[in-house]
Amino acid sequence: MNRLVVTVLGIVAAVGGSAVVFIGINKLFDLTEERYPLYSAIAGGLLSGGVFYLLWGNRMLESPVLVTILAIIIGAALGYALGIFEPSTQRLAVGIGGGAALGLLLGIFAADSSGEGETAIAGILPSIDPVGIIVGILIGAGLGFLIWVISGRKPELMIPRMAMGLALGWLLGAWMAAELTGSRAEALIVAVVLGGLVGAAAGGRSRPDQVRRADIALGSRKYIFLTPALVFVGAALVIPLLRTIWLGFLTGNPRELTWTGLTNYADIFSDPGIIDFSGAGDIIGSRLFWLAVFLLVVGTVVGRVLGQRVGTGFSVNSGSLSLLTGGVILFGFAVFTAIRGTIPNNLWWIFSVIIFAVSLGLAVAVLADRARGENIAKSLIFLPMAISFVGASVIWRLIYVARPPQDPQTGVFNSLWVMLGEWSNSGLAKTLVSLVLLAIIAALAYLAWRGWQAEANAIVAGSAAIIVVLGWLVFRFLGPGLGGFETSEVTGEIVAAPVLFIQEGPWNNFWLMVVFIWIQTGFAMVIFSAAIKAVPEDLLEAARIDGATESQTFWRVTVPQIFPTIGVVVTTLIVQTLKIFDIPKVMTNGNFDTQVLANEMWERAFTQLNFGLGSAVAVVLFVAVLPVMAMNIRRMQRERLG
Amino acid sequence: MTTTETKTTQGVLTSRRPLGNRIYRFLRSIPTWFLWVLVILWTIPTFSLFVNSFRERDAQRGSGFWNALSDGGNGYDFPTLDNYREVLFPDVGAGVGNALLNSASIAIVATIIPIAIAAFAAYAFAWIDFRGREWLFIATVALLAVPSQVALIPLLSAYSNGVAWTIPVLEKTVTLFPDLDLSGQIPSVWLTHTGFAMPFAIFLLHNYIAGLPKDLFESASIDGADHFTVFWRLVLPLSVPVLAAFAIFQFLWTWNDYLIALTMIGGNRANLPGTIVVASLAGEFGAREHLLTAGAFIITLGPLIVFFLLQRFFVRGITAGSVKG
Repeated sequence: MNRLVVTVLGIVAAVGGSAVVFIGINKLFDLTEERYPLYSAIAGGLLSGGVFYLLWGNRMLESPVLVTILAIIIGAALGYALGIFEPSTQRLAVGIGGGAALGLLLGIFAADSSGEGETAIAGILPSIDPVGIIVGILIGAGLGFLIWVISGRKPELMIPRMAMGLALGWLLGAWMAAELTGSRAEALIVAVVLGGLVGAAAGGRSRPDQVRRADIALGSRKYIFLTPALVFVGAALVIPLLRTIWLGFLTGNPRELTWTGLTNYADIFSDPGIIDFSGAGDIIGSRLFWLAVFLLVVGTVVGRVLGQRVGTGFSVNSGSLSLLTGGVILFGFAVFTAIRGTIPNNLWWIFSVIIFAVSLGLAVAVLADRARGENIAKSLIFLPMAISFVGASVIWRLIYVARPPQDPQTGVFNSLWVMLGEWSNSGLAKTLVSLVLLAIIAALAYLAWRGWQAEANAIVAGSAAIIVVLGWLVFRFLGPGLGGFETSEVTGEIVAAPVLFIQEGPWNNFWLMVVFIWIQTGFAMVIFSAAIKAVPEDLLEAARIDGATESQTFWRVTVPQIFPTIGVVVTTLIVQTLKIFDIPKVMTNGNFDTQVLANEMWERAFTQLNFGLGSAVAVVLFVAVLPVMAMNIRRMQRERLG
Repeated sequence: MTTTETKTTQGVLTSRRPLGNRIYRFLRSIPTWFLWVLVILWTIPTFSLFVNSFRERDAQRGSGFWNALSDGGNGYDFPTLDNYREVLFPDVGAGVGNALLNSASIAIVATIIPIAIAAFAAYAFAWIDFRGREWLFIATVALLAVPSQVALIPLLSAYSNGVAWTIPVLEKTVTLFPDLDLSGQIPSVWLTHTGFAMPFAIFLLHNYIAGLPKDLFESASIDGADHFTVFWRLVLPLSVPVLAAFAIFQFLWTWNDYLIALTMIGGNRANLPGTIVVASLAGEFGAREHLLTAGAFIITLGPLIVFFLLQRFFVRGITAGSVKG
């Protein structure tokens, strides 16, 4: 229970605190128009308090609590005075006086070096150095003049702008550039002058009239509204990104990094664990490759032939496209099982996830559209999107699990696989299964024939494809046998041989991808479904009246309409898949040849504490998304800037 | 016209080859079967986890989930809540109960704060005119695609050691972010999630808020309402649908997150969220393997409830912002 209370309190504090700060600042700027002195007092108190608080945080103050409270009071008084007084000489005097008071406070309480070892405080008392001061004043005067010129050379702004520039120059030359070994007296002089200059900058401006106060009330909002978001974006993304790029050029342990140029990148690209071309020669020799070539050729021929029939050069339809897709898939797998390493793994992930998630997602979206039970089907396909990658990995481990050969298999995949092996070795089951398969083949052949008569190419192609696959199954089944079994060399007995889905490379990579495909198909489906529903009904109706078949309507009308959506889904999937981390981490932790870039980065940086190399891997990831970023930027430019 | 034609053709065919036609029509419906086969395939994994989480350890190891109903005959209890009891409470087993509190704490705060901050920014980008607005917006939203990996190392060292900057030439060091010893603490995860969520949140909310009717803002400003009042009284109530969409998206995202919590909390066991505790259960093969099912189901339960109750909003968030990086 105690933990529960702490948790709830933490939540309330975080949310409430943020709300109070934001609303408070808005309310503060609401005061400008009607109650300017109050606004000015609060703003003055907050500003000077904030500066002293920063000094406190940097351990530059003695008795910091008291000093910060005093600073808030003086700042508020100064702000209130400036909120009331009108005549410019009075304002300037008040400003310089108040500023000097703050400077005096700083001078008196500026930390002197003290303590030793752990508690040592480096003092900040400056020793006066004429050269530094002169250079500082010159820089400051130049800076002030420059700001004044840039801001439109208004005579009434001359004094405050110059004072502001001089204050900056003085701070730089007399304090920050100085040796910090001075005396209290020196610190007092430097601080009072600094405070006076800042005060002059504040007091040198005339009291804003009604119009300018309304301007402040209105103009401040964009800063108030944007600052929190931009601070978070800057602090959590932009600055860390720049720092990571910088760290990529360094090496050594996190405490003392040294420059090493491009060594980290050279290390990455010469590491055979990360990219290894030595298997590339095997691609030509692999069965997958030739099967891929075969499918691509047949797909092209089918497309050409059907295309000539309807008078276009190449017909995009279910038949030609499924053959070509099959060819591309096999080709990709032939390449990625031969060229190994972290980077090829990542590319393989992107390749598989895009092809399978997009095609399955599109298929479900089309089939479910206006089907009975559409919502249930879509909900169930979409459900894995809600499950964490960790949960999904655990779920799929259960599906993939391989028990010892003598035990019953508890994973769905291995259970089926071993059962198939048992059937292969029993005459009766073998005959029965083969007969069933042959019956299905016969039915499909009939379907193909009827489809041919009706000129429904999709039916012909689909049936033909399934017939080929089933025929191959029958052949394997009757011939060498199929399924998870092996003949023991010693006893000649037949024993079960489950597949180690997670451990056996390189195909284990694909079994990990299946988990992600399982999740992302729902994503693709939802997007495609929305796009399909947005296709104007008139267009479809017109196509039907012109005598187009369902399949023609789909390929000629719907697909071109949702083409931009396919682009959006693909780019999103690329970005998502590129940084895939959880699934390999939980399922294999990158072992068994399943390493991916994100896990490589994590291990280098946080397990081996090699920040340089880890950062370099992260930069590789970043460079890989740059094209997607560029595309997004181009698209937004077109949409927003015209 | 078309319909009558189809009817006659079908009528002719039916009278000539009745059996053939019935088979043909049956086979033509294969694509619809394909949909339902896919639905079943997609559901089996989750269902098997659900069933197995109620089975005893030895029953889980001895047979597949489809044998659950015959567990009774083999001398096992089914369904049993033992796994859940064991996995939830720290004195018995894995302490997922404690981890759930951490998950809730992370997800709730890391949902509310980004919504608030992003809503202000989205409003400013949509309805406050200032120079460079379009560019600033595009630059912010372009960061959508940046993988969070690029920010992890600097963020973690900022949380554990603070950020100090040595000014060049002057050779003085200033602290930019104090060493608050945040690494290992939940606030570090809040801050990180808030930062990473910003581009997507601004993008999603801006699309909606910018689409609100212009007249609304004009009549409000004639009535003398300032930006804060307009935002508070007008924009927030009207934006509830998109705020809900983002809230659900972000809640699931942060509840399900593994990478950021693992990096920022790391070794501090007391603060680990559910995903990490379950993942570490998965890491230790053997003894407590059976708890994995119950553990995984518990951490999935929250998202599933949110999913089924608020699916409409979730879908809207996904479709509206399909460039999340």
